[in-house]
Amino acid sequence: MSFLQALLLALFGWMGSIYSPVLIGGLAGWYTIGRPLVSGMIIGIILGDVQTGIIMGAAIQMLYIGLVTPGGTMPADVNFAAWIGIPLAMVAGAGKEYALALAVPLSSLGVLAVYGLCAINLYFVHKQDADVEAGKLDAAARIPIVGQITNFVLRFFPILLINFFGQDLITALVNALPVQVTDILQIFANMLPLVGFMLLMRMICKRDVDLILFCVGFALMSVLQLGMVTIVIFALGIAYLDYRGTAAAAPERSE
Amino acid sequence: MANDITTEDQEMGGAKKLSKSAIRRAYWDWMFYNLSVQNFERMQGPAIIKMLADVREDLYPGDPKSQQEMLERHEVFFNTEPYLGCIVPGIVLGMEASKAEGNDQISSEFINSIKTALMGPFAGIGDSLLPGTLIPILLSIALGMSPNGEVTGPIFYIVVFLAIMLPLTWFLFSYGVKAGANAAELVLSGGIKDKVTRAAEVVGLIVVGAICAQYAKFNIGLVYTSGDLTINIADILNSIFPELSVLILSFVTYWLMVKKNWSAGKTMLLMLVISIVGYFTTILTV
Repeated sequence: MSFLQALLLALFGWMGSIYSPVLIGGLAGWYTIGRPLVSGMIIGIILGDVQTGIIMGAAIQMLYIGLVTPGGTMPADVNFAAWIGIPLAMVAGAGKEYALALAVPLSSLGVLAVYGLCAINLYFVHKQDADVEAGKLDAAARIPIVGQITNFVLRFFPILLINFFGQDLITALVNALPVQVTDILQIFANMLPLVGFMLLMRMICKRDVDLILFCVGFALMSVLQLGMVTIVIFALGIAYLDYRGTAAAAPERSE
Repeated sequence: MANDITTEDQEMGGAKKLSKSAIRRAYWDWMFYNLSVQNFERMQGPAIIKMLADVREDLYPGDPKSQQEMLERHEVFFNTEPYLGCIVPGIVLGMEASKAEGNDQISSEFINSIKTALMGPFAGIGDSLLPGTLIPILLSIALGMSPNGEVTGPIFYIVVFLAIMLPLTWFLFSYGVKAGANAAELVLSGGIKDKVTRAAEVVGLIVVGAICAQYAKFNIGLVYTSGDLTINIADILNSIFPELSVLILSFVTYWLMVKKNWSAGKTMLLMLVISIVGYFTTILTV
């Protein structure tokens, strides 16, 4: 990849990171171009192979489909995983299991960036206090703009540098690996989506009995092989029945 | 008195001083900058200050002292789910507008206590509805549209997600501004919050079950041969229940991550070990 391509990847990667304000905050940023499926399409456009980009993005997306970041804690960071993992796997001409294998350590690096940022930004919080105290209210209002520099530095430069200087290393590595490694990575990648889903289950599964609902959804897909839209309609119906049921039982229930 | 007071405005209680353009400015401020200087101490606090600072001339025209006091009382911790929870900064703005009009019942403490009381519940509802339910549903539909890297999936996701979220967040934010503190009572009264959360969980559980069946694979490669007899273990399992091996692996992962509280990293490490061992013992296959 050329330096210009690495530069574009870094720019979009920064815009799609969780703390970037430029694309209506997280709306068009983190939750749109920051989703690996969409990131994959943009990376594909930049590197000139949209189809491969989306295939790899989809693979990483499955792993992180259930990613929730409650209260600013970051279980795993999809930003480096997508914006470094996908391009490097693409230039190495490797399969999507390599993108996944790269994604896992890169997401740990991303978590480090998040916690570093939250510590550094304390400076800007106190700068804002001082500005308000001194009556410089315009300066106080500019803090969320000026303070974005931390996030820019922590996203733009790692993506640019690792992509540009890491490509030869990754290509050499992929060529040197025996075929068994690819097979093992594929088996591993097949299991990985469960990790993302169980992160989500931690939030939404309050009682073990609720696993029955999980099994209902599982069976609708595996046995009846229904489409996702159909399953959502069934799910809404069951949620409505559940709502009616609890509403009827409401008087004697006081939690 | 301002000459544009209508019955509707009076019913709304707050927001008489705020023009629609000021509310719009505050909304975009919040949407863009909510997490821009995320930090350990105040989380989204600086974004609340920015939002109020940018409408300070609408609230206290030519009164820098009051403007400064308003910003000082928001030098505190604030954290919620920024998008569905945007009703909370909306309510803050509504209360500030009401206070700026001279409503003595609204004190600094009152504003901050309402703000603090609401941010937690909305963080919970927001997280379980948005990244917990809506986004995985849209993504799994989109993934289904792009099995071979077609652009239709990502385009579908971008268009549908933004078409839902932009009007919805604007509605929630402006509703918060208009209703001021009353919005809090309305939304949180009668256990509506619990019911909404429960409904989101039910939909979420079913959808997650379906997505697990769709995307996870766990192929048993064991074949038992004895003379002419070959028994393929995977076929037997699938005849009992399709994808039974994935369902069992799901329960094991659930037990480890939800019941035993294993971290994502630790679970992945175990899966890697299982892959290596399974591959060389031929119990597992690609």
